[in-house]
Amino acid sequence: MDKVLKIMLIEDDMIEVMKLNRTISKLGLKHKIIEANNGEEALILLSEKDNLPDIILLDLNMPKINGIEFLNILKNDDSLKYIPTVILTTSNNHKDLLECYKIGVSGYVLKPLKYEAYVDKIEKLLSYWSINELIKI
Amino acid sequence: MKGIVFREFLDLVEEKFGLEMVDEIITKSDLESGGAYTSIGTYSFSEMLQLLQHLSAKTNISIDNLLLIYGEHLFAVLGNSYPGLLETYADPIEMLASIEDHIHIEVRKIYPDAELPTFIVEERTENSLVMIYKSSRAMHHFGLGLMNKTFEYFNSSATIVLEKIKEDGTEVKFIINKN
Amino acid sequence: MSQEKIDILQRALKREKAARKAAEKILEEKSGELYFSSQKIKELLAEKSSQLQGIFENIVDAYVVMEINGDILKFNDSATKLFGYDIDKESINAMDLIHKEDYEHAFSSFSELQANGFYKDYETRIFTKYGKVKWVHVNGSIVFDKDKKPVAAQGIVRDITEIKNLELQKEKLVLKLEKSNDELHQYAHIVSHDLKSPLRSIDALVNWLKEDNLEKFDEASIQNISLIETTLEKMEQLISDVLNYSSVAADNSNIIDINTNTLVKELLNIIYIPNHIEIKICNTLPTIKGDKTKLQQVFQNLISNAIKFSDKEKGLIEIDFKNIDDFYQFSIKDNGIGVEKRYHERIFKIFHSVNNSKDSSGIGLSIVKKIVDLYGGEIWLTSEPNVGTTFFFTLKKQPNGRS
Repeated sequence: MDKVLKIMLIEDDMIEVMKLNRTISKLGLKHKIIEANNGEEALILLSEKDNLPDIILLDLNMPKINGIEFLNILKNDDSLKYIPTVILTTSNNHKDLLECYKIGVSGYVLKPLKYEAYVDKIEKLLSYWSINELIKI
Repeated sequence: MKGIVFREFLDLVEEKFGLEMVDEIITKSDLESGGAYTSIGTYSFSEMLQLLQHLSAKTNISIDNLLLIYGEHLFAVLGNSYPGLLETYADPIEMLASIEDHIHIEVRKIYPDAELPTFIVEERTENSLVMIYKSSRAMHHFGLGLMNKTFEYFNSSATIVLEKIKEDGTEVKFIINKN
Repeated sequence: MSQEKIDILQRALKREKAARKAAEKILEEKSGELYFSSQKIKELLAEKSSQLQGIFENIVDAYVVMEINGDILKFNDSATKLFGYDIDKESINAMDLIHKEDYEHAFSSFSELQANGFYKDYETRIFTKYGKVKWVHVNGSIVFDKDKKPVAAQGIVRDITEIKNLELQKEKLVLKLEKSNDELHQYAHIVSHDLKSPLRSIDALVNWLKEDNLEKFDEASIQNISLIETTLEKMEQLISDVLNYSSVAADNSNIIDINTNTLVKELLNIIYIPNHIEIKICNTLPTIKGDKTKLQQVFQNLISNAIKFSDKEKGLIEIDFKNIDDFYQFSIKDNGIGVEKRYHERIFKIFHSVNNSKDSSGIGLSIVKKIVDLYGGEIWLTSEPNVGTTFFFTLKKQPNGRS
């Protein structure tokens, strides 16, 4: 049976957060969402070591710590670096793409304009990760 | 032909055969200059040819031999006049091999319009030299005389064989072997 | 003495007298010639000396003569002005003039000067008497005496401080320009992200409105909602196109050999081609030096346009190529709707789509033109309305050779 995932969404745009929540409930999935409005908030949440997410969905364009800075912090942390992190962004900037894969991401998904397309992408993404074996520390 | 060649020639004739012989060969020849030569003038070669022919007829000495003796004589004259030229050489073969490239160039500095024969070096070793003489004047024996004296000057001697390449003597091979 | 002997002697004497006269005459002529040529030599010498003096005084560049040890012997006026020293009153050495940081270069250049007898295009910094640093360009040579012994060195010294400063300024400007180009590029990405995010949100919100009120909305409202969605798509396309256009920058880092034949064939697999349209490649297209993405953009835009504006029952698009001197000339010919003559210039300008259709923002051709410009080429078209259009573009064979 597919796993129920604990997903951390790091995203400053309220509607984007609503979109993910609505998509999961629309698809009838049981996954649990941990919301963080920015990198700092995410780091505080991630300091609770008994409540770590299974995967992280990360937006790149955020105030304060931006996505790439956050990614660097994450990948330099001995326990957090094992959490698969998927970028969810509008930017198809080649430079960003390169930088993210260099630091180490598990995926890079472009946010589509159409909501239907978004639902489709999220469904595929989550079904992929729910069949993966994940590391628990 | 340069006047000095005539002057020295007539001086030699006077020395060997007397003033009468000089007078006779001049009188018998048809000379444009009238026989009045100055060493800085230039005269026609045909005058020299006539003088030689008459001298040869009178003395029964071949023209070649006359030229040989004259060459030997002129070497001493030139040696006295231009000692510096001889001093630049240490060896007769070396000096003869450089006729074309050095001596004739020096000669032209003094007599710019001198008409000189060509000597082309064909073979050269330490003790031998083969040269081709080329000149419309066919005065190869004059050259031989100069060469004989060259070896003498360096206290050396050589066997010099002349082989005519052209019958008229305008092209002659000089085969020189140091003794 | 016999009469005969006397006659001989008299004749000899006569000859001697004649010879002497002849000799005197020759000598007279020679001495005349000698006098004449010595006069000529004197005149020539005076002329050359005055020429040299003139050059020495008049050349705009500084002229310096120094001893082999570097002691300065002569300055012309320009040199005095440049270095600030009065050579008649003070003695200086070349090493006093050269900037300390350039000593090593000075020594190696001087060794070369001595070895070769000349040295060209030596550039160094110097100190003037008043402590000012200047850049100079020097062409130097060794002066030899008649025994070919080096006695001095001479040089023409040119003040290139201004040029050097301009060069440095130019380098800085280029760096700055590169940086601001890069910044602009990043900025365009951020702006496009910021503009696209609200569109995405609107689309989601509109969708929820529709989902949540499916029963309550009438036909017209559903229609309007779908129009909002279409408008959003158009807006998003516009933003993407503007970003693409601003991303076309002169960047030679990705210049590689590109087989345009393969490139076009690959494109034809990606582009949607309706069944009634046939695309023919008439000639083997060449392998050229260029940036793959940019060349793709050019062909993709032109081919897509040809497809888009096809209105015949059987559409035909022909891609052709010609080698013209320093240029490659490509052409894309269609039998579509054609373009009126008065629009031929306008269509290459940004936001000047002639056809106000949903899928053309009017940026495609302006991107194509921008890229063709980058390659030092040209783009133009011939067209007859309702018959067809042929787009021609050229690319320079040495894209790096452009200024």
